[in-house]
Amino acid sequence: MNKNLIYILISIFILTACGGSDKPKDADFSKEFIIPDSVITEGNLQISEEAMNEIVQNISSPVEIAALIKAVGVPYSKEYIATTDYVDSYNTNFKKALGLGIFGADLGYQNMYNKTGSVIDYISAIKTLADGIRVGQFFDFTTLKRLVTNNQNLDSLMYISVQNFNQMDRYLRENNRSNLSSLIVTGVWIESMYLLGNTIKESPNSELSEKIGEQKIILSNLMLLLRNYEKDPKFKILIEDLGAIQELYREVTITYEKGEPEAVEINGELVFKQNDKQFIDISNETLLKIIDKTNEVRNKVIQL
Amino acid sequence: MRKLNILFILFAILFIGNSNKLFAQSGQELADICHMVAGSDVMYLKDFQIKLDAAKPGEEPPTDRYSVVLSKKTEYLFTICNSKDYQGEAIFQLYDNNRLVTTNYIIATGKYYSKVTFKCSSTGVYHMFITFKEGKQGMAVALLSFVKKL
Repeated sequence: MNKNLIYILISIFILTACGGSDKPKDADFSKEFIIPDSVITEGNLQISEEAMNEIVQNISSPVEIAALIKAVGVPYSKEYIATTDYVDSYNTNFKKALGLGIFGADLGYQNMYNKTGSVIDYISAIKTLADGIRVGQFFDFTTLKRLVTNNQNLDSLMYISVQNFNQMDRYLRENNRSNLSSLIVTGVWIESMYLLGNTIKESPNSELSEKIGEQKIILSNLMLLLRNYEKDPKFKILIEDLGAIQELYREVTITYEKGEPEAVEINGELVFKQNDKQFIDISNETLLKIIDKTNEVRNKVIQL
Repeated sequence: MRKLNILFILFAILFIGNSNKLFAQSGQELADICHMVAGSDVMYLKDFQIKLDAAKPGEEPPTDRYSVVLSKKTEYLFTICNSKDYQGEAIFQLYDNNRLVTTNYIIATGKYYSKVTFKCSSTGVYHMFITFKEGKQGMAVALLSFVKKL
């Protein structure tokens, strides 16, 4: 009897010890990987990680820019998106993180137009780069590939891909790797600007031009983020490149007229309408200069 | 028979000991549910997973803060989903520099909404504050979706 009891106790010990299968999705993976010192930024920041979190959220959304391009009736162009052919040459964490942002923006653009034909190349490239900076566990390649292959449930494709990027971003920030998170965000912004700028060149549109002007606000937040890492020579070069774009934005004027927000209940849902007015003054000359400079920076980034 | 009793007790201990792990909702699961609650006619942008302790006596309720960039001439939907494992109901407030522009809880009427639409007219950084009603302990997801260009 005692023997049996011992066997049972041992079995239970083994069962409870093997907790691997119910690992929560938001578990701390940092203990499973050896992260090189060069990518851990704790202690080197001019502003705290907490303050960084307050800056970064949703700083540039590939979905919104792509939605705007589509909404104004401009057709899709595969000429604008970056090639995935040289993904293997993204051989440092710096390049990988920037590349992740660039391909992420391109993926959002293709998804928005339901162009699933070439999406496989992009999700494969993203998976390679994500694995390279040890966040591949957040990119659900298998599910995305299945959705793309079967050309089904585009809403899920969009949701999973965007959310996977958010999870990577969250994980990097929570593990003192905000430098890489900042680079992903920067990559998304640069590529979104590239898509926007080339669309304008092909099909001039006042709403899209205004969107370029608005980016003055976004870029100043992005610069604030990147300047945290300016001691790193690679960051310094990127900051200088983006600084040249920011310099051109001095010619863009943004003015405001405050209004009182209104709230109404429609079918049990609350709707707030902000009544502020925002005026963006950007000349055609400045617009073209910003587009050309952005293209220059983007092409430099993808040829790193 | 005695063997069976021992087995039953041990399995009961094992089951009770792991029940929290088996049934507790994770932030990610709640975000997935919240995405469905938001509806298929909107596009997911970002989710904010919040888990806060109950307020200590005499102290202000704990608050989480996030900043988001929102664009002019754009309609957004904020969907608030509370975890079934906690009593707290999340109150979300969105401010521009210093003015409240959107919330899901109207203090004057006591009405609580799980969905709030925000028609944004000015591109910029907005600040989200999330706390739980009456300072209760809670877990929630605030999901930001893109509805349409205005």
